[in-house]
Amino acid sequence: MNYSAELVELIEEFKEIDDKMERLEMVFELADEVNLLPSDQWTDSTRVHGCQSEAHVKIGLVNSNVNFQAGADSKLVQGLMGILTMAIHGCDANIVLELTPNFASEMGILNSLSPSRSNGFRNMFDKVMNEIRTQLEAQL
Amino acid sequence: MREEFPILQREINGYPLVYFDNAATTQKPNSVINAMNDYYSNSNANVHRAVHTLAGEATEGYESCRSALKARFNANKAIITSGTTEAINLVAHAWGRANLSDGDAIILTEMEHHSDIVPWQMLAQEMNIELRFIPVQKDLTLDMDLFEAAIEGAKLVCVVHISNVLGVCNPVEKIIDIAHRNGARVLLDAAQSAPHQDINFEELGADFMAFSAHKMCGPTGIGALLVTDDAFDEMQPFMGGGDMIETVSIRGSTYQKNEQKFEAGTPRIAEAIGWTEAIKWLNSVDIKTEHKRILNSARWLANQLRNLGMKVYARHGDNDAAVVSFLHPTMNSEDLAHLLDARGFAVRTGHHCAQPLLERLEINGTVRVSLYFYNTHEEVVSFVEYFTEIMERFA
Repeated sequence: MNYSAELVELIEEFKEIDDKMERLEMVFELADEVNLLPSDQWTDSTRVHGCQSEAHVKIGLVNSNVNFQAGADSKLVQGLMGILTMAIHGCDANIVLELTPNFASEMGILNSLSPSRSNGFRNMFDKVMNEIRTQLEAQL
Repeated sequence: MREEFPILQREINGYPLVYFDNAATTQKPNSVINAMNDYYSNSNANVHRAVHTLAGEATEGYESCRSALKARFNANKAIITSGTTEAINLVAHAWGRANLSDGDAIILTEMEHHSDIVPWQMLAQEMNIELRFIPVQKDLTLDMDLFEAAIEGAKLVCVVHISNVLGVCNPVEKIIDIAHRNGARVLLDAAQSAPHQDINFEELGADFMAFSAHKMCGPTGIGALLVTDDAFDEMQPFMGGGDMIETVSIRGSTYQKNEQKFEAGTPRIAEAIGWTEAIKWLNSVDIKTEHKRILNSARWLANQLRNLGMKVYARHGDNDAAVVSFLHPTMNSEDLAHLLDARGFAVRTGHHCAQPLLERLEINGTVRVSLYFYNTHEEVVSFVEYFTEIMERFA
């Protein structure tokens, strides 16, 4: 998948930051990019399993474009959700399915996280992709 | 002291490592690292029966650990295990199965580590044993009135000496006295106290005491169960295999009479040799003075954190450990730990394997700073300075 211009810019910005604290600060700021899934809509079906925090995602398709909502009790996790929002929200679902979690590795953000957090990110990514795939198939 | 610990020279993300996760495990001095390296380089062999030189050196090295343990803690019997968890499981299997029966009761506390809960739950389910849990009160102490009320009919009391979450030191002398007056044996989980106190096992009077090497500057994968002679005589072999037998024939086996009866299989030889050096190191430390010093740093840290709006879970009485568990009112603990790690501060977050205690405190986890003798007050000051910066930038 070709990354959106916004995502390419973000990857470049992350690559330029050497300081771990500044990189984490940037992830924190990206928490604001999330289309918030309010906590009263968190259910077992929205929950990202294998994540140490409470992390929830909800996928909808609008004319085959991805509508991504998410929320977490950790601002860092919500920041990761913000990055995923920039990568997939509003994009064509068929194109989104070509995405791999490599973009997060390219940013170097997974190296800044504990192994459990980076596993959590991958679990979130897999859950989102599976939901998109399921909903696309249901439309056929 | 710090120069003896090579890892303390390390930098994390370009900043000096400030290691505040000592309740989880401590760092190792050169003497421990070198002794283990020397064993594998020069003396590696299996222990006991063989007569060659290397086997003799390995046996001497392994048994020197037992001698060092007995001397340091004034104990007659020291069974070497894989750690505190195995030591507690050994009591459950070797003593519990032989001395408990249907309808008996065991007393535990809500402050116990999972290692001192789960083995008893498993045994209770299997043998129909009642588990009575002593509650933790709002002031973070055990409810001793309820303990006295619960002791009647109990055969065993399992109590943590120092809480790994709160650093609170429990009144174990009183607990042992009450338990013994009521005919119950006492198992002390000393994982957090053995590294921080000079414990005289015989004087203290517990029947069993379990602890790990790695929390007292020794290697991982090794620990011990100290046992009184009386309690030892009540234990039946648990794990069968080499080293624990006297004779084996196809008609049956006879067992060793000493601690080896509970040390089946090739033991942890290199680890025992490393632990011996750690005990020597600890013997050289003026524990009372050092404990007072780091406890004062912990008290200061707790006050600073309170001033910054944190909820602190600690008492910091004179015998309590230099542990500061705290929570930010809104900020996620793991987010905080990530930000701390960015500047080289190693702390622990989560439930600390003590979920019943956290349930009582109505929280899911804490951020825990735990100090050891090689930590300095300057490190604690730098922690507060950086923590203040985090609050200004992120909270």
